[in-house]
Amino acid sequence: MLKYSLKRLLQSMITLFVIVTLVFLLMRLMPEEGYYGDRGDKLDEAQKEAILTDMGLRDPLYIQLKNFYSDLLHGDFGTSIIYRPKVPVIDILKDKLPYSLYLGLSALAIALVFGLSLGVLMTRFKGKIGDKLGTGYIVIINAVPAAVYYLLLQLYVTDILKLPILFDSDNPASWILPAVSMSLVSMASYAMWLRRYMVDELNKDYIRLARAKGLKNKVIMVKHVMRNAFVPMAQLLPMSVLYTISGSIYIESLYSIPGMGGLLVDAIQRQDNPLVQTLVLVFSSIGILGLFLGDVLMAIFDPRIKLSKQGGGR
Amino acid sequence: MGAVKEKVNVKSDVVLSAEEIVIKFNLRGKNLTAIRGCSLELHKGESLAIVGESGSGKSVFTKSFMGLLDSNGWIDSGSIIYKGNDIASYKTEKDWLKIRGKEIAMVFQDPMTSLNPLKTIGKQVQEAVELHQGFKGDEAKKLVLEILNDVGISEPEKRYKQYPHEFSGGMRQRVVIAIAVACRPNILICDEPTTALDVTIQAQILQLLKNMQKKYDLTIIYITHDLGVVANVADRIAVMYAGDIIEIGTSEEVFYNPQHPYTWALLSSLPQLGVKGEDLYSISGTPPNLFKEIKGDAFAPRNPRALKIDFEIRPPYFELSPTHKARTWLLDPRSPKVEPPEAIKKIRQVWGGK
Repeated sequence: MLKYSLKRLLQSMITLFVIVTLVFLLMRLMPEEGYYGDRGDKLDEAQKEAILTDMGLRDPLYIQLKNFYSDLLHGDFGTSIIYRPKVPVIDILKDKLPYSLYLGLSALAIALVFGLSLGVLMTRFKGKIGDKLGTGYIVIINAVPAAVYYLLLQLYVTDILKLPILFDSDNPASWILPAVSMSLVSMASYAMWLRRYMVDELNKDYIRLARAKGLKNKVIMVKHVMRNAFVPMAQLLPMSVLYTISGSIYIESLYSIPGMGGLLVDAIQRQDNPLVQTLVLVFSSIGILGLFLGDVLMAIFDPRIKLSKQGGGR
Repeated sequence: MGAVKEKVNVKSDVVLSAEEIVIKFNLRGKNLTAIRGCSLELHKGESLAIVGESGSGKSVFTKSFMGLLDSNGWIDSGSIIYKGNDIASYKTEKDWLKIRGKEIAMVFQDPMTSLNPLKTIGKQVQEAVELHQGFKGDEAKKLVLEILNDVGISEPEKRYKQYPHEFSGGMRQRVVIAIAVACRPNILICDEPTTALDVTIQAQILQLLKNMQKKYDLTIIYITHDLGVVANVADRIAVMYAGDIIEIGTSEEVFYNPQHPYTWALLSSLPQLGVKGEDLYSISGTPPNLFKEIKGDAFAPRNPRALKIDFEIRPPYFELSPTHKARTWLLDPRSPKVEPPEAIKKIRQVWGGK
């Protein structure tokens, strides 16, 4: 297990390295005009040149890359160049991270609790009206573009439930809608897959044996069916982490939440290279952590998966 | 067999008696009759084999003794008397829990899938011990180790902690048997216990079941379509066709003096009776459609020598001996004499030394 974790950690480092390098290079492909913002017309060539040199963009690419790596290794993520000039990126993130983190975690928690419950209930009432309603919800979530129901929620539910339409860090009620909206996609996928895996398990021979043994239905459901259905479910955890990240980008701008999702969009548009690079690093670390957790969880649940031997469970 | 009469029609050694059982299933809005008025008496300590082709209702019939029919099936009429109660009338899970495991246990066909892959062997046996023998914790574990040892699993201490995927097919079937035995049932239903195993292991498992039967005083029902298994273990044989027992008797009687044309056909297709160079006998046609009402003898359409009455009226049982009876008009004194096929006569020569 330890050996596997270390190996996995190394792999993750390599993945992260490739991701930041790609993002670094992509940002260097952006047109230079972007760096001047709306001052572009007023500046003459010499001033423009001075700005670029100041940002270190006139150095040869390999030098820039070398500096970038060595800064990263020293834990230096650079300073913002446009968004809030001369402010260290870390300080910017310190303000923004808590919002995104709390929002993401609460969305994840809501999705887990309600998604799994919905899945269990759908299995319990398979083929009945409750199951069909649940399926309807899942189909709608998967078929309708997220923007549509995010907007509908913001427009109508705020009215009906008297919830604030925009985020306000002092008002706890304003957390509810963003977190719920963000959890909808994950919730649907948890419910759908848990129902599917549980129904799968229910039809297996060992359940017949458990029944023939004289075990109560409830005990079979909890100790055999649900436990076994959780193994493939562990694969979903990383997916829902990724959903949550992508959801946050949209939700945060919709509700004006001062989090990292909105910041990323902003930073890309304004070509604030260090900021973009760091944000991508943070987001991809979270994604990779999710994947890793998924693998480890699966190995914990399923004794047949020996992570260290083959070096990977998937 | 002691024929001491306690109640009317109930002999003291009858542990379970199914009477005129009709089982129906609802499939896509249509009703299918899987078991058509099937009766069976099970005697204490015996091994009864139920044989018949796939779909003849062997499994469904015995599953109804434990309330394990699929959710779209039900016992339409008839009674199953066990210890003075009609368990066919049981509806709730609570009722069935009194029977399942405790009174009747089951060994399934495929050991590769009948164990929970994510629980240790020990825990799975222990579940049964804790449920039915009232032990907990260490005491239960001790008993589990004993049972594992009984079913021929060496190093039970080590094996207790292992998972099913670390066991071979034969070993897993031993564990499945251990689970069944750990329930301390009266009756053990073995649903094709050796079908999924290779031939060398088959004999071992059958021997194990025999030993368990002696040690724990079990009454065993074998469900199988392997007549070799039957010849090996069964005291009595019931032949099922299209949801009814068409012939039942002691092993000797059914093998050496079969009466029903279907039993003839079944035995004729035994590879042991084939002549080298000749095609092996096979029964033409397919079993009847169970969605439709079956008139007369269900086997008549596939029986080349069927009588006219076979298509019209369902034959009653004709008794040949106190233990042997068959549902065929051929046994009616008014029917013409029909000789059994050649192959049947050969059985005595081939297996006569048994």
